[in-house]
Amino acid sequence: MTRTIFVCCGTGCIANGSLAVADALRAALDETATAYGQGKAAATAGQAERREAAATAGIQVEALVKQTGCNGFCENGPIVKIMPDDISYYKVKPQDAAEIIDSLDKAPVERLLYKDRDGRSLRSQKENPFYAQQMKIVLRNIGEIDPAEIDDYLARGGYAALKKALAMQPAEIIAEVEKSGLRGRGGAGFPTGSKWRIAASYDDFPKYVVMNGDEGDPGAFMDRSILEGDPHCVLEGLAICALAVGAEQGFFYIRDEYGLALHQVQKAIADAGKAGILGNAIMGSEKKLHLEVVRGGGAFVCGESTALMASIEGRPGEPRAKYIRSVQRGLWDKPTVLNNVETLANIPFLILEGGAKFAEKGTANSKGTKVFALVGKVKRTGLIEVPMGVSLRHLIFDIGGGLLSDRPFKAVQTGGPSGGCIPAELLDLPVDFDTLTEKGAMMGSGGMIVMDDRDCMVEMARYYVNFLCGESCGKCTPCREGLRQLRNILTDITEGRGEPEDLQLMEEICDTMRDASLCALGKSAPNPVMTTLRYFREEYESHIRDKTCPAGHCPKLTAFRIDTDKCTGCGRCAGACPGGAISGAIKSPYRIDGSKCLACGVCRDLCRFEAAIAEKAGYEA
Amino acid sequence: MIIHIDGKACVCEKGEYLLHVAAQNGIFIPRFCHHPGLPGQACCRVCLVEVETEAGGERQVVSSCVYPVEREMQVYTNSDKIKKQRRMVLSLLSARAPDSGRTAALLKSAGGSLPERFTRLAGEKCILCGLCAKACESVGTAAISVAGRGTDKKISTPFALPPDACIGCASCAAVCPTEVIAYVEDGGTRTIWGRSFQLKYCETCGDMLGTEEEVAHAANKAGGEPARLCPACRKKTIAGALGKPFARG
Ligand SMILES: Cc1cc2nc3c(=O)[nH]c(=O)nc-3n(C[C@H](O)[C@H](O)[C@H](O)COP(=O)(O)O)c2cc1C
Ligand code: SF4
Ligand code: FES
Repeated sequence: MTRTIFVCCGTGCIANGSLAVADALRAALDETATAYGQGKAAATAGQAERREAAATAGIQVEALVKQTGCNGFCENGPIVKIMPDDISYYKVKPQDAAEIIDSLDKAPVERLLYKDRDGRSLRSQKENPFYAQQMKIVLRNIGEIDPAEIDDYLARGGYAALKKALAMQPAEIIAEVEKSGLRGRGGAGFPTGSKWRIAASYDDFPKYVVMNGDEGDPGAFMDRSILEGDPHCVLEGLAICALAVGAEQGFFYIRDEYGLALHQVQKAIADAGKAGILGNAIMGSEKKLHLEVVRGGGAFVCGESTALMASIEGRPGEPRAKYIRSVQRGLWDKPTVLNNVETLANIPFLILEGGAKFAEKGTANSKGTKVFALVGKVKRTGLIEVPMGVSLRHLIFDIGGGLLSDRPFKAVQTGGPSGGCIPAELLDLPVDFDTLTEKGAMMGSGGMIVMDDRDCMVEMARYYVNFLCGESCGKCTPCREGLRQLRNILTDITEGRGEPEDLQLMEEICDTMRDASLCALGKSAPNPVMTTLRYFREEYESHIRDKTCPAGHCPKLTAFRIDTDKCTGCGRCAGACPGGAISGAIKSPYRIDGSKCLACGVCRDLCRFEAAIAEKAGYEA
Repeated sequence: MIIHIDGKACVCEKGEYLLHVAAQNGIFIPRFCHHPGLPGQACCRVCLVEVETEAGGERQVVSSCVYPVEREMQVYTNSDKIKKQRRMVLSLLSARAPDSGRTAALLKSAGGSLPERFTRLAGEKCILCGLCAKACESVGTAAISVAGRGTDKKISTPFALPPDACIGCASCAAVCPTEVIAYVEDGGTRTIWGRSFQLKYCETCGDMLGTEEEVAHAANKAGGEPARLCPACRKKTIAGALGKPFARG
């Protein structure tokens, strides 16, 4: 049987050494071939030749190693998947390679399989609770193809949608996208079909299409994974968009730090050009399309549409007033469609299967699926795709497996710096554009950070405000100066200098930022502050009135002590304490020297007996 | 077309900016970063107004300096909401630039006062409207620019050194709404941005022509010899040479 061994080579798995795993697997295959009498020559030939040589020698173990994009379950990487047996291995090391190759016609390597809660080994991704409850449209090819091989994409039906679109009228394409109900995945949720229709309506050429791959939201990696794992899909989406609106030039704006994504997209453009899919005659038709990669300017604000366009034009990445929209006057004052990576990745499926089929998934006003980066204090972190409208509880507890160490859930932060915190009472909310916005948060691009009772909500707000202080453009007063004052007030609160009037003052600042800021960064920057004030006001009040941080997180307000009744004297904390504050003898209770304690909380995180306890600072044992 | 600003009917052209329409009709909207010769800054956010494009519909807060009139509408320059937002914007600016008298004065006239709780940037006068950099760019020298981003944004010269490209024309100082950019003229020299420039005077009447570099720069741009006379004297000379006594001072 011909097998394919897929080695996940997304950024996460590469960081865990997956490239070495792929090499080791290839070497192990070579060795098998050599063992069957192919001699040294086989080892120096290309993999395809080796495979053929092995096949003619009648080798049973015929396999091909392929490097794929991100499988989403990064913390368990490197991930190796064997098809068509459908066996997935996790945390694979190069030294496991020989055993994996050796097992191909035998039973799977038990110790590399994923174990569920009851310790049962799961062979297939389909049995794994992390994957089983997902619905993949955008991510359907990722992990199944080598993103650097256009033939892999073609073999899975790639570019069939573009071919279909070439036979359609632009208005028909747009009608299909409108029928699907697809809304932009970049954050604002603007209906994609309407955007295309407006851009198509102007008789002002040249027009431009642009992909937004700036993804500046800390903790988010959806777009990066799509670009790394299935670049042709996004390229096909952008090409269909260009056909629909009448553009002959397109740009991929990609964050400069995304080296692998930049590489894959550049290769995809070159390969599609060579294959006659792009260029002066799209698939042999009379339509033209030229695509170019632009490296992002760096700051979070560069993801904002007008700042992004300024950056492509070679000007500083600063927004402009948007009273005339980019679909009318965008790049070089010409009609321009800007769409997010994930939005575009939906297009090939939507055109092939039809808008009506797409619209069957999701909720009334939010159709299709959404990709989320689930991170934070949750058991299974990673990249997941689910239909719109599933509950936060389902995402966090069923797919994510609940909180680490089964600690109490406190909040989930959605939408990054423009989003907000959603408390436990709202866990059953369906996740869609409108519901999250109504609750003061935002879908954003799809980042989801799960927090437990040891995370401080005031600190969370301060973190994002501080982030934006450095990542906004700083052009307009409400945003720049509002953020500055918010940061100072929030820092004061977390350090015990808060004043009772601060909460109202912050609300007033936020109100002005929302109304008066120039761009959507400043208008949405108050969300982390406003949602925590709305759902966790008492936590602010404790910081201000009682000078305590209930989560035991803010170092200036917290001290740690060891409960001598609970301490078993294991010594784990003492070794890890960065301040060297913990002393004691093995098997008898340890103690913390308050004068050395940095209140970092490492001891509390490490202690398996709940013996390290956070107290209000100033506590004396 | 006709729009209504604070109830007053104002005639205007499609595409005209609200701030301009208001000014034409004698309605003053406070602002800092708008300069008719250097439009489009839209960053101070003092010029906010509310617009209502459908009777009884939702009102939108916009910056009047860049908001183009596209249809008939009601504009409110002094609604409670605008007054409140303007006070906050001016408070934020006053905290940023506590040494700017104009900012403080505008805050006071808007009925606001700087909250004690706001952190002040001691000694700062600049409100970062960016007009100076824009003026410098339009002169064609770009010796100063807006550098950095976020809360660290500032007006700066390259490497924070006296700028080589500067021609001492003081256009930046002329457009600065808060009168921050200082220059000194003393005994035939002008000192600005840490550099001193020789001043040049009209050979006939003695009026100041500008700095040597500025006069040379203008000549370079126009293609010709650096001026030695002020425009008025030059006109008189040309007129005299032609023998037609129509020239007027
Ligand atoms: C501060 C800021 C940052 C943004 N960053 C991104 C981004 O990284 N990626 C993205 O696709 N959209 C981002 N957006 C949204 C874009 O402005 C724009 O709405 C989007 O790219 C449009 O594509 P869509 O309709 O397909 O979502 C950002 C918006 C703001 C205000
Ligand atoms: S809101 Fe913030 S990011 Fe947007 S223009 Fe103003 S300062 Fe720049
Ligand atoms: S004058 Fe309009 S924003 Fe400054």
